[in-house]
Amino acid sequence: MNETPRAPEMKRDSDPRSSEPVPADGVRVALLDYGAGNLHSLAKGLEAGGARVTVTTDWDQALGLDALVLPGVGSFGAAVRALEGEEDRVRDALAGGLPCLGICLGMQLLFSESEEGEGRGIGLIPGRVRRLRARTVPQMGWNDVEPTEAGTRDPLLAGLAELTAYYANSFVCDPEDTTSVIAETEYEEERFASAVRKGRSWGVQFHPEKSSTPGLALLRNFLDEVGR
Amino acid sequence: MLRPRVIVCLDVRDGRVVKGTNFVELRDVGDPVELARRYESEGADEIVFLDISASHEGRGTLLDTVRRTAEVLFIPLTVGGGVRTEHDMNALLRAGADKVSVNSGAVRDPEVLTRGARLFGSQCVVASIDAKWSDEGPRGPGWYHHTHGGRKRTDLEAVAWARECARRGAGEILLTSMDRDGVRTGYDLELTSAVAEAVDVPVIASGGAGEASHLRDGFTRGRADAVLLAGILHDELTTVTALKKALTDWEIPVRPVRGVTEAPETGRGAGERSGSPREGTD
Repeated sequence: MNETPRAPEMKRDSDPRSSEPVPADGVRVALLDYGAGNLHSLAKGLEAGGARVTVTTDWDQALGLDALVLPGVGSFGAAVRALEGEEDRVRDALAGGLPCLGICLGMQLLFSESEEGEGRGIGLIPGRVRRLRARTVPQMGWNDVEPTEAGTRDPLLAGLAELTAYYANSFVCDPEDTTSVIAETEYEEERFASAVRKGRSWGVQFHPEKSSTPGLALLRNFLDEVGR
Repeated sequence: MLRPRVIVCLDVRDGRVVKGTNFVELRDVGDPVELARRYESEGADEIVFLDISASHEGRGTLLDTVRRTAEVLFIPLTVGGGVRTEHDMNALLRAGADKVSVNSGAVRDPEVLTRGARLFGSQCVVASIDAKWSDEGPRGPGWYHHTHGGRKRTDLEAVAWARECARRGAGEILLTSMDRDGVRTGYDLELTSAVAEAVDVPVIASGGAGEASHLRDGFTRGRADAVLLAGILHDELTTVTALKKALTDWEIPVRPVRGVTEAPETGRGAGERSGSPREGTD
């Protein structure tokens, strides 16, 4: 890294889809900042769902709010460095019931190891992150998210049986235990787990904050579940 | 199934969207934030901002525009124009771009693609290639890559350059045919398919769209993963919704236009936020 970029300054005064103010009693979400990439859209998308968002690089703060969101921006290396030394503590917090949503790279961090590089993930979900076998990599664009049987009952995907979402990924997750898979997606000749759940942690390989109105509905589903 | 994408490009100068066939006759067509949102609601799959003031002026206005857009736009945003270093890329990504496109900067220093991919992921790095046919290029007849908004021809043959950009870390190729740009007779299918065959990353066809059948041909005969549009939308000759409807009728599996406000047959209010995606005009 040539520099450690500063966290973007997030304004939290308004909902981008309406003039309603963010409620003061909204779910407090920690949005982890690995130091690279666009966090604005995700912060605004969560706020549109009623959350109060804190962008942070500090794990004490990240694990101390109502929910943790691991964004899908930046490289695997940067994310692993942000996690270094904290893996066990984060895993314990999530296993202990802290709600978490991992997006794209953030979903991959919920797993133990990755072909993409050195370093451990959080290891909440046993399995491996591997490179797509397709010809065209990265997968770039909108693809269908097909709920599994468990997924049709999962609150995260409530009302989203026909979801088409935006992906930008070269790697996918292979969970050892397929019962954690709540949605699958087909890309070229392969199918992969596009959404997983373990306890109160979810991972999605796509970007809900880039998937227009249905993606915002998914973020709202997550927040509704956190607030339950 | 991955959906073929329809991308809308906005030329941005000093915080305004402009259009014109050359730099002399630029016309103000509106606010980039508002236009980007409107195209999202029409069903655009992505937005590209091409900053045409970047080479000459400060970037503060652009960063501010990107920041304001990212706060209200919930589809991917690519920003290009004047990107030279990974620091430029970082500034745009931190301001709210999802991807950054690089043209002249990559010719001057191809390693910027590699460094960008390592720091931000290759999915953030778009190599922009402006190709124009030449009978007398340094490597014989062929398409040659141009920089500086198309003003300078390089010695780089476009197909080989696309391959090198992908090898160095670009996660996508934005391929503009300068011969077709603004002509509205269709994408250069020969150029597009040649590049699509040569690289293993997605290719966006650009330059020449005049009607829906051109988009269809770009996907089928051109083998493009995405098509880019500008002029025909800004001139209000058609809409993204209408183009997607035509593509769907031709069995091109574009993303259905959902959640658009003009869906009167559902009888639901335009401003309603719903857990289920609404069927639009598709």
